[in-house]
Amino acid sequence: MAQKISEKVSEILGKIKTCMGFQKKGNKVDSFKLITSPAVLFVLALFAGMLIVYFYNAMPAFNREGLSVYLKDVWRAVENPSEEYYGLASAIWGSIYTSMIAILVALPLSIAYSIFVVDYAPKRIKNTLIITSDVMAGLPTIIYGIWGAFVLVPFLKDYVMTPLHRYLSFIPIFSYPPITGFSYFSAGILLGIMVTPFASAIIREAYQMTPFAYREAAFSVGMTRYEATKVMLGYIKPAMFSGVILAFGRAIGETVAVSLVIGNTFNLSANLFAPGYTISSLIANQFGNAFIYSHMLPVLYAAGLALFFIGLLVNSAGLYLLRRWEKNVSI
Amino acid sequence: MSVSNFRKAKEKAFLIAVGITTLIAILPLFHIIATVLMNGLPPIVAKGPVFITGTLSEGGIGPAIVGTFMLTFLSSLIGLPIAFLVGVYAYEYPKSAIGRLTKALLQIMLEFPTILVGVFVMDIIAIPMGTYSAFAGAFALAIILMPYVAVYTHEAMRQIPFTYREASFGLGLTKFKAVFRVLVPVSKRGIMTGVLIGMAKVAGETAPLLFTTGGLYQSYPHSISQPVGAIPLLIYTLVQSPSASDHAMAWGASLVLLLIFLAVFIPIRRSLKEVKL
Amino acid sequence: MVKDKMKEIKNKKLAGMTMAASILIMGITLSGCLGEEGTILRTTGATFPQYQIQKWIDVYHESHPDVKIEYEGGGSGHGQDAFLNGLTQIGRSDPPVKEDTWNKFLGTGDQPLQFPEVVGAVVISYNVPGVSNLNLSKDAIVGIFIGDIEYWDNSIIKQSNPGVNLPHNKIIVIHRSDSSGTTSIFTTYLSVISDEWANKVGAGKTVEWPADSMGRGLAGKGNPGVVATLKQTDYSICYTELSFAIEENLPTASIENKNGEYIKPTDQTIQAAVAGVKSYIPSPTEGYTENLEQLLNAPGNHSYPIVAFTHLLVWQNNGCRHYSSDEAAAIKDFLEWVLTEGQKPENMAPGYVGLPSEVTQIGLNAVNSINDGC
Repeated sequence: MAQKISEKVSEILGKIKTCMGFQKKGNKVDSFKLITSPAVLFVLALFAGMLIVYFYNAMPAFNREGLSVYLKDVWRAVENPSEEYYGLASAIWGSIYTSMIAILVALPLSIAYSIFVVDYAPKRIKNTLIITSDVMAGLPTIIYGIWGAFVLVPFLKDYVMTPLHRYLSFIPIFSYPPITGFSYFSAGILLGIMVTPFASAIIREAYQMTPFAYREAAFSVGMTRYEATKVMLGYIKPAMFSGVILAFGRAIGETVAVSLVIGNTFNLSANLFAPGYTISSLIANQFGNAFIYSHMLPVLYAAGLALFFIGLLVNSAGLYLLRRWEKNVSI
Repeated sequence: MSVSNFRKAKEKAFLIAVGITTLIAILPLFHIIATVLMNGLPPIVAKGPVFITGTLSEGGIGPAIVGTFMLTFLSSLIGLPIAFLVGVYAYEYPKSAIGRLTKALLQIMLEFPTILVGVFVMDIIAIPMGTYSAFAGAFALAIILMPYVAVYTHEAMRQIPFTYREASFGLGLTKFKAVFRVLVPVSKRGIMTGVLIGMAKVAGETAPLLFTTGGLYQSYPHSISQPVGAIPLLIYTLVQSPSASDHAMAWGASLVLLLIFLAVFIPIRRSLKEVKL
Repeated sequence: MVKDKMKEIKNKKLAGMTMAASILIMGITLSGCLGEEGTILRTTGATFPQYQIQKWIDVYHESHPDVKIEYEGGGSGHGQDAFLNGLTQIGRSDPPVKEDTWNKFLGTGDQPLQFPEVVGAVVISYNVPGVSNLNLSKDAIVGIFIGDIEYWDNSIIKQSNPGVNLPHNKIIVIHRSDSSGTTSIFTTYLSVISDEWANKVGAGKTVEWPADSMGRGLAGKGNPGVVATLKQTDYSICYTELSFAIEENLPTASIENKNGEYIKPTDQTIQAAVAGVKSYIPSPTEGYTENLEQLLNAPGNHSYPIVAFTHLLVWQNNGCRHYSSDEAAAIKDFLEWVLTEGQKPENMAPGYVGLPSEVTQIGLNAVNSINDGC
């Protein structure tokens, strides 16, 4: 009697588990899904939680200013609450601009690095190079920031920005006089240096894993190493996409290092040598005192949401490109 | 004849270009290490061992060092298992809606300004608890850690040629065994790279700790439900002071952080053996 | 082959040892072997008095080794927020708390107390090669920062500086990029002495600096940032805290005060200013009524016009709502020390000035009223 009941119970449990996808038909438990699903659910819940909290806290800003909180370039933090008015346009521009510069720097660097490490480097140097790159990825950002502010910026100002400005200032992006060196340019370069290791790690591993058969095939038709490499690079395009997206994400979220080199000024210009703001450094700079103003806090949350929207856009673009690539190639 | 010479020349030029570019990519690290050494060694030498073991009033950063270890360890405990599993799931079910969604969400989480993550955790953990705590800080760090580990895990596993999957299933392994017994070990290096990079990154984070851990530099931490300090946080505070001795201490702390980081990171990284395909 | 294997073993050993060391440290810490007993206090908020607070903590620790006081920054806003949420015991705020925030404090069922603990000054510093003494009249100051005065040799500046060789160079105005109490005090001062400034720009922790749109403005993050920018930029001018100007050996301008005298920021002139405005400091239980404008541009021949008060926030601990008995006693002892011993010249950090006894008495009365019988 008891046995019959316990059989029935396990049968019902089995049906529930099958329904939820934990179990295939019958008695076998899909332990894979059992183990991984809670983790996935946790991450989804966390993300949803963060979004909800940010939206909830940003709502007052949207109610008060509508979309112009993203479109206007203004920052009036005054004692009189009814006169407060904020617009994030220059911060949004700064984030995107500096991250784009960072990718322009990081992509060629990480591809060249990966090629060199996998194809050309002798064994001892190879390990050193790999470790060096990974070390750079993990280096505390505040050290990058201090080095950037005290070493990189003066260097760039004296040896790159001033000559460029002197001889090429008829080109609009070089026309801002580099007085202190704190600028989009410096921030972009520093970010580029910081995110290269992240992209490198992905591209390097992917390039290493390409089956030797393809390379053999290339050599067998008489290609030089250079030409064979070009073919192999085409093969790892998805990894390059991932690398770029990862690098972009890393660059746009960077707070401390950027805030020490970008000049932290509200400025909406494409001038490389002009100081500017990014969303992250804006939030970092203003958050400590936002509590004192009636309307600033929601705007800062809205700024965080802006980053989320940008991330959504970039990742969707990446996925779209990836899908198109995958249609044409099968691994 | 000239065509093949031209191709050879391109070959040489390519090698040189790639070599120089690689050099540019890694040069900053050595310069940074040199700078930190130059600026950070004098203060440490001047203070002696007290710099490492003493509390702030004694002129040392001891509690901050312990705090950094605590936070890194705790956040890895919380974040690594979850991130690893999520990365594997996203790899196994790349076409499913949830799989794609998760991967995309992780990449987006990567871009969240770390300071807002700290604020979020302050709202949901520190304020309800009524106190700053190591747990809150570790949780914030875990949120930052997870996207990296998950994305790197996913990428590493994606690189495994399909033949390995076919072979495993051809042998009749369950999905669980195939993934965790065969495929994961093959991509072990890529995954561990992600783990290391993630852990190192959060050990050096400042912004998420600003509103969650509170800082503890006058005494050593006892529990995870009490405030705790961290080296990057201390550096950040010291840099804002007008006093030159505080700045010197900041460089010294930076050097300590750098040395700890290198001492832990490099041996572990070197011990990961390459998997030959 | 063997070599490779040995290397692998060596690396694995190293890795293992470092991991073991890390876990060991963690274990020791959590078991409390390294810990000592004692009371831990925490103060959070404004960074303006950072230097002074840390000095007080260090000196107090020498005579009270079992009381450990943690300093946390984050800014005045964060200080008020943390104080409200019970994350810190002693809040620090440069500007006095606003009324609706004060009401939020009261909403916890306890009585907040606010009083000043030290005075600093906001100074005007400059980097003009060849000029080491500069007098700035009110018109000059307003004109420069509002952007009307473009060159150093403008007649308004020349008027107050006979015999000084002012160059014909554009004035670069350096201001704070981040939200700052220093900016708030400086812009409030400008609003007090100039209606044009009050209408056109106004006062606040961040403002839109007219010089920016003229291409003559630069921003620095934090006082260190502003000072570094000043040093690197010839013909520039900035405002910053006195402690930074002293630490970095920057020249400070003599500013025209309410009585028309040109005053340099020194201990005496700051104290003279405080004596002139102390009647405007409210009772600690009504901290929100303090008006920044009343404390600036103090009357008196020797008063320096831009003094900066900074405040402490503590709870009266009614019904032991916020502090335990030990904590309350420790807080009372520390704050009493700060307001008496701490105000002595040997315990003052450079750039900060002690309060006169009538003002410290306000704070002492408040501290005495903290309830420590739980």
